[in-house]
Amino acid sequence: MNTAVAPLFELGAFGPRGALVVAVAIGIAFGWALERAGLGNARKLAAQFYLTDLTVFKVMFSAIVTAMLGAYWLSRLGVLDLSRVYVPETYLLPQLAGGLLFGAGFVIAGLCPGTSCVAAATGRGDGAGVMIGMFCGVLGTGLAFGPLRHFYDSTARGALTLPQILRIPYGVAVCAVVVMALVAFRFAERLERR
Amino acid sequence: MPLRRALAVLAALGGLLAAFAGSPYRAQHATLDVERAAAAIAREEDHITAVELAEWIHDRKPELRIIDLRTAKEFDDYHLPRSERVPIEALFGSARGGPARLGPTASLRPGETIVLISDGGAHAAQAWVLLQALGFRHVYFLRGGLGEWLDDVMNPTIAADASPQAIAEFQRVSALSRYFGGVPRVIDKGAEASQRRASGDRVLRETPSSESGTTPAVDVIRRRGC
Repeated sequence: MNTAVAPLFELGAFGPRGALVVAVAIGIAFGWALERAGLGNARKLAAQFYLTDLTVFKVMFSAIVTAMLGAYWLSRLGVLDLSRVYVPETYLLPQLAGGLLFGAGFVIAGLCPGTSCVAAATGRGDGAGVMIGMFCGVLGTGLAFGPLRHFYDSTARGALTLPQILRIPYGVAVCAVVVMALVAFRFAERLERR
Repeated sequence: MPLRRALAVLAALGGLLAAFAGSPYRAQHATLDVERAAAAIAREEDHITAVELAEWIHDRKPELRIIDLRTAKEFDDYHLPRSERVPIEALFGSARGGPARLGPTASLRPGETIVLISDGGAHAAQAWVLLQALGFRHVYFLRGGLGEWLDDVMNPTIAADASPQAIAEFQRVSALSRYFGGVPRVIDKGAEASQRRASGDRVLRETPSSESGTTPAVDVIRRRGC
């Protein structure tokens, strides 16, 4: 018998309007957490690339580990039906190119999409500038989508997960990521103290 | 600082326990190599014909397992020599939340040549995909199901005016057919038409043979088709 109550939207706990309200609430909470972590400051974010302040790395990686452990254990305890959680598909080359472009933009601007919204919301001009640039980029990509379409759809690999790629049990992959995160946090703190 | 340490310990504990806690998926999951499966389908390496299967049985092909996916009643009514009945739902199974694997009653080994049989071929083709996902490579399904076996092996026919090549092939199949107790027939189109008119288009059937176990129920299977 299926006793799972989550994913809430998938299992009909609320409709599309309710989902939008929840999405806005989660977005505000996410922005607040980013701001509290100091990630609305472009200098702090840029310091990441000079290896002098690894806050971004620590915040993001701890968020990944928290979400992963939460999803794993909630699912293992029967609260979450993990098979109904959407796994984005992998498109190897387009995502590699997109990642490089994203990284270059991050280094140049000192902000990523989420943190630029946080920066703009706290009244920073650079945040608003990055947001405008981001929307221009989205618009440009949309207008040029026709010629890009073939590349956009290339090297499709389906919805890949680490246990699938590495051919290891799911729990072992979870354990490996946690160990990797803890070691990386320790290493990051040493780097910062240098 | 103590809070960070406590969170780190909590994460480490959660991660270490996860390594032994099994799969978080409620349903059974297996991985299908879609590219490989598609290539096998394109090259028609996913199925065999009834005559090919008859040859395998006749030649006593080693490690051959013929899995009949039909119901117990259908199996009792008629089944292929050397076949064993395994319902499709019993073919697969695992502990709740564990990875998908072969059902305990199926007892198939990856090295064996497995031929799946169903009434019309659809269930057998579906089981082929599922066995591929479980890592079985030497799996085939009987293309036209039991109907093809009945038509091509048990009741092969040839037109009286067929080409010499077709007649030579028919003689080879006829020998196989007789081995299984089948009744090869040469059809005279004119005589066949008048015979059909006389019998109300009933399919003629020979008496059951010991090897094939042909029964009137087979006529029902045959009329039902694929």
